[in-house]
Amino acid sequence: MSHPAIQIKGLTKDFSVGMRGLKLRAVDDLHLEVGDNQIFGLLGPNGSGKSTTIKVILGLLEASAGECQIYGKPSHSVAARRSVGFLPEAPYFYRYLSGRELVRFYARVCGVPRAKIASQVDEVIELVGMTEAAHRRVGTYSKGMLQRIGLAQALVHDPQLVILDEPTAGVDPLGSAAIAEIIRELKRRGKTVLLSSHLLAQIEGLCDRVAILHRGKLVREGRVDDLVEEKNAESLVVEGLSAEGRAAVEQTIREQGGQLCRVESPRLSLDSLFLQEVEQRETERREHLKTTGGAQ
Amino acid sequence: MSGLIDSISRVRLIAGNTFLEAVRQKFFNSLLLISVALVASSTFFQQFDFGTGELKFITDFGFGALFFFGSILSIAATTQLFFSEIENRTALTMLAKPIYKLEFLAGKFMGAHMLMLVFTSVLMLVLAGILYWRETVLMARLGQEFQDGRLIAYGDLFVFGLLQWMKFGVLSAIALFIASFSNTNLYTVVVSFFVLIICQLQYIARDAYSGMEQGAGQWFVGLLGLIFPNFQLFNVGDQLVFNVEHPLSVGTVWQVVGYGVIYAVAFVLLAQLNFRKREI
Repeated sequence: MSHPAIQIKGLTKDFSVGMRGLKLRAVDDLHLEVGDNQIFGLLGPNGSGKSTTIKVILGLLEASAGECQIYGKPSHSVAARRSVGFLPEAPYFYRYLSGRELVRFYARVCGVPRAKIASQVDEVIELVGMTEAAHRRVGTYSKGMLQRIGLAQALVHDPQLVILDEPTAGVDPLGSAAIAEIIRELKRRGKTVLLSSHLLAQIEGLCDRVAILHRGKLVREGRVDDLVEEKNAESLVVEGLSAEGRAAVEQTIREQGGQLCRVESPRLSLDSLFLQEVEQRETERREHLKTTGGAQ
Repeated sequence: MSGLIDSISRVRLIAGNTFLEAVRQKFFNSLLLISVALVASSTFFQQFDFGTGELKFITDFGFGALFFFGSILSIAATTQLFFSEIENRTALTMLAKPIYKLEFLAGKFMGAHMLMLVFTSVLMLVLAGILYWRETVLMARLGQEFQDGRLIAYGDLFVFGLLQWMKFGVLSAIALFIASFSNTNLYTVVVSFFVLIICQLQYIARDAYSGMEQGAGQWFVGLLGLIFPNFQLFNVGDQLVFNVEHPLSVGTVWQVVGYGVIYAVAFVLLAQLNFRKREI
């Protein structure tokens, strides 16, 4: 692709508030570029302009000023949306359709050729791990299942750019990990993913680049590693060092002109600990069922 | 050409889904049952022994039920089907797809219009069945009054149904137009009913001002008549259904249908103008 997936120049969005039409600026002179085949995180607290930016990108809102392009096409054009899949925040779908009917419906709306619909629908339902529940009505789905079927409908027409608004909001850590894995798989398949979130721990290990918004303004933008790296410090992770050994290391650091700032034990994130524990118990349970012949 | 076919296909899909949603609503089923029960109950008045006038009574009763419940349903269903998409934010998912907002609105309108087709057809079938049964009974009893055959033109009964369906279409389009700029369901329903009353009664204003000299009043009534469709044009039941001396010509029926189509299309296009700017 010669054009970036998303190119935003000077985007400003004002909302009129109240009878007197006072202006509330939701996005303020935003410049942003999302390259192809990246996982890009749009971060910020509630009300920072993430969802408004996404709505402008999708052509659901008109910009007050500035421009936005998707692969070189104006984002408000229908042609631009052909290459975009979108999962809204807290998605709500037609409750009376089954998961498969829902994905099929959106495939037809997106113009997937009739001959390909069945295979495309099956493929995305399998990708999001909803094959077993695809026959059930959407009204019976849990929050995590809604997110997954929402992902399936966003992917069914094989878009090059996938936009996910708070994809893990309200989903338990297991569900979040599954969604994160689907996002990584999308990147492996060459897709570009733009996702917004305020759950920073989940984003950190997932995104190639992030932009941080605050009150509609871009605060920071760049590679995750560059942004979080402490440029003037390095850490050594050591195992099995005696007290004498440690004293010698500290001495050497002083001799070399360095300064030991802090000594701490490496920590697992709570997310990782939770996943590790749950997965270990799930494995034990499966093995137990295997040995008892699934009698319980 | 392929773009137009694709566009029609998307409108058809959205309309089909809207219709599916509508027929699953208890409101529609309840209203349909009440309407059918009301039309059927008109036969209970036979104890008054109207003679052949009974057929006129049943017909008027049926047409009244169709107008009353049809108007409620077309306004309430269109409004509900539109706002359920906005409030449940399913419109967000839909409009993020490669579709035009006009296709979305046209699909919503067509879905509501299909619902009204079912409603009108069921009521007309019930009314025709009751009329046919009562007319057969009356023919056996009062043979001399039926020397020229049946009094009721049953084919034209359904032509009247078609015209009422067109009227409901205009009403749905008006409700959709009001919904396109309104923020609440209730506001849309109330304003739509006011517009219905204006459309239904504007002939009184026309009559009152027809004798006036050219002036602001006549100009105003003329403008009113242009903005609001005249629903009296659709009320041709007597001329159609009973074999009167001057039955309605096919050409006139088509003209009324065309009048309805023009207004329905105009209001959907106006709704699109508002909806384009709406923040979803």
